Amino acid sequence: MPVPKHTSDIFEILSKGQFICSNSCKDSTRKLYNIIDDNFDDLYDYFKSINLVLEKGDEYFMFTRMEHKTELERKLEAAFRWIDILDFFKTFDHSFGAGYRFTPSDVLVKLSVDVDLKNKLDGLKKYAAGKEKHAEILDKILDMLKKDSFIELENEITNSYKTLASFHYMERLIISVNIPESVQNEISK
Amino acid sequence: MKTFSSIYQLLATLSREQKLLSELFEKRKILSFSYDYALELVDFDADKISSLIDLSVVRQNGNNIELDDLFLQFFEQVMEVNEEINVSYINEHIESIRQNINYYLQENNEARKYGYLRQVKQALRKIGVIALRNVVDLSRNIDNTFKNEPNYKIKKTKLEHLDDKRNAIYTLINRTDHLVSGDEELTFFKVAADEELNRTIILVKLQLNECRHNLIDIQKQIIEYLNRIKHQSGVIEKLRQIKYLKDQFELRSKTNIRELLAENTAVIFEPNPSYPLQISLDQLQSDNDAADVISKVAKKIKTSVKSTQPLAGNISDEYLETRIEEEVQINLDEVKNSFLAGGNNLFDFICNYDFGKEVSFDECVTIYCQMISQFDTLFKITDNYNLKEDIEFAMVYPK
Repeated sequence: MPVPKHTSDIFEILSKGQFICSNSCKDSTRKLYNIIDDNFDDLYDYFKSINLVLEKGDEYFMFTRMEHKTELERKLEAAFRWIDILDFFKTFDHSFGAGYRFTPSDVLVKLSVDVDLKNKLDGLKKYAAGKEKHAEILDKILDMLKKDSFIELENEITNSYKTLASFHYMERLIISVNIPESVQNEISK
Repeated sequence: MKTFSSIYQLLATLSREQKLLSELFEKRKILSFSYDYALELVDFDADKISSLIDLSVVRQNGNNIELDDLFLQFFEQVMEVNEEINVSYINEHIESIRQNINYYLQENNEARKYGYLRQVKQALRKIGVIALRNVVDLSRNIDNTFKNEPNYKIKKTKLEHLDDKRNAIYTLINRTDHLVSGDEELTFFKVAADEELNRTIILVKLQLNECRHNLIDIQKQIIEYLNRIKHQSGVIEKLRQIKYLKDQFELRSKTNIRELLAENTAVIFEPNPSYPLQISLDQLQSDNDAADVISKVAKKIKTSVKSTQPLAGNISDEYLETRIEEEVQINLDEVKNSFLAGGNNLFDFICNYDFGKEVSFDECVTIYCQMISQFDTLFKITDNYNLKEDIEFAMVYPK
């Protein structure tokens, strides 16, 4: 089966649970995105033979597995963490989403004028063990998002981050949670 | 209230105060433009401002000053920056065309007929231009609203409102089209059609067509924007509910998140994999770089714990004390020398030799044997035997 020569690079990134996004700042990643886009069927078959499913999302690619491998608890933990983090950033700016650019200092400035945001950051403290300062907690959170390739450091000098298309995945996950109507009514009370 | 008596006066006034007016126009969004600032712009001549107020070019509101609505609208429309989309103009013009057509048909005087015709043409031209401008304004406003309005609810309402405007423009365009196609006023367009009217109608039709195409695109744009807002606010709304449930520790029990995640097999949930592969031995042995790597690794795994040599315990002082034990040794060499110097036979010599200690007969025998075995070359061993205390011994003499 002919596969592009970048297949190993693609595997390297995706097998770590990261995404390949079309709006990445890195040239190499964008190139990989285009390569996957052009050879999707070949790569899909190729990875399928090693039990990995290449999935195409809204402007991103990712791997899923054929069988269940991870414990439910672990997934729940990750999902809960994302909910908290997503909630924090959506409070920071409603339009926070794929393609959004920001710097940590933007967030820190907003902290001083938005008590709600500050409380939510305090709530995130549990994910940044041992950190007390706001800037440190935020850095830790950003680091986590960076590792999961939801955001990327776009400019090292200005320390500005860019949200990647993989953010759609997080949003999709949230959207797909089904809340029964009776519970919804309860909440809106 | 004074009015301008001629267009010349109007233009002259406007051009004289162009500094102030252009400043007022630029700052029209800012609610308060102070009278004092205005004074500075007209070289502190209060009369100039009061004359503008008299002519109702500007309006004074307490200590603030602003452009009169009439001029503001005029400027905005001419400069194509107006934000209000007013569809009533088109409506008015359509009405006026209808009326003028009516007058035209009833009028007998040729000259006046021609006047009505001219008004119809004018109105038609205006409709085309106004429609086109409205479309441009609409698209700009939609874009602005989507990008700049921070409040989601207002943004949504504004876009919906603009969508209504789009609908209204579309209806008016259709009405105008209907009118100029000559479906309604068949007689007029048959009778009055001259070269110019035909040209105008074609032009208007072209413009309307362009508007229609633009409107289709605008509609698409609005739908997309509204969808995006819906998605955004949908996400936020959902997130809010989920976060609430999570904080109440009810997320697991009240939603399907467990089932959802149970089905989710994304690799992102897995811990980072490591692939502990064995090293190829062939490569290790043949590769030059491998040696460097090995020495590097070896350096790294050097333990910081120093291995201690097992030490023996202290030597007890008892062992170090000097103890003297004397033992008299018989120096066979000395005995031999003495023997060689004398002429006695060996056995008797030994028995009589002063060894410095008591020497038993048995020992004498031993010494005798030792001497012979060691120094036999120096002795002359004869075949004569002697007997002493039951021991027979050979007679040995020095050579």
